[in-house]
Amino acid sequence: MKKETGNNLRELGYFASLGISVALSIFIGLGLGLWLDKKFDTDPVLMFVGLGLGIVAGFSNIIRAGKKGKNY
Amino acid sequence: MEHPYLFLTSVFGLFGLEEWAAHHPHVTYMWLAMIILIVFGWLAGKSVSLVPETAQNVFEVLISGLEEFVVSITGEEGRKSYPLLISIFLFVLVGNLMGLVPSFFAPTASVNTTMALALIAVGWSHVVGVWHHGFKYIKHFLGPVPLMIPLFLPIELIAHLARVLSLTFRLFGNMMGHELVVLILLMLGGMFLAPLPVMAMGVFVALVQAFVFFLLSTMYIAGAIEEAH
Repeated sequence: MKKETGNNLRELGYFASLGISVALSIFIGLGLGLWLDKKFDTDPVLMFVGLGLGIVAGFSNIIRAGKKGKNY
Repeated sequence: MEHPYLFLTSVFGLFGLEEWAAHHPHVTYMWLAMIILIVFGWLAGKSVSLVPETAQNVFEVLISGLEEFVVSITGEEGRKSYPLLISIFLFVLVGNLMGLVPSFFAPTASVNTTMALALIAVGWSHVVGVWHHGFKYIKHFLGPVPLMIPLFLPIELIAHLARVLSLTFRLFGNMMGHELVVLILLMLGGMFLAPLPVMAMGVFVALVQAFVFFLLSTMYIAGAIEEAH
């Protein structure tokens, strides 16, 4: 395999997996928040904290990819 | 949706295990994929010669081509992880292609199989990270500024959990969707060979999904090897 083709494939795989990881991060944050709420009996507080963390985690993925994409 | 007829289930029915096999087709067909891979590996390794002949040529191109590809991503340290990665690639490929054979079930179209594979791949990337950086591997999770650790730690943990789930659901969703489309088209217009175009595309989907799974596991290992940001 040529080196350039390999690099292109790598970038393709990385950026193609970006969308799903953003969505899943938000849902994981939400799920963790809901679970902890049930555990500590602090209804909606931890859900919002978890949701916020999930959203931040998802967007940090995008920012990191953007930094990587600047090399082109 | 249940499969109308599964070949291995009726084989297990000969031994009185029909009910168990009907509930766990992904397990029986995973065994079949493993047997196929072991037989091919045995055939390829049986008569290794310096000047490769027919079958050995094919395997050498596949194995060494992908090895160079993996090393170009991870660097020389990633060569030790290559056996796991190529096993995942070949297993997922065989599992995906199995779904195209009539009366066969694709083991990767069950969330149990894909979740197990994703856990192994992501778990191994962390093992490689600890192996490489020792205790300092935790820096990967702490972000650049010490003050922000309480914020960065949960974010990084969520991002790493999302890796497992995204690997799981991408493979599962693609293979399951393909199976369902073929089954529905078969019921609607099986007499007019309606599922044929979808099955032809299935060959492509199987190859691409196996390669994507392999590529992403490689990149997670590469991310564990490189220095913390």
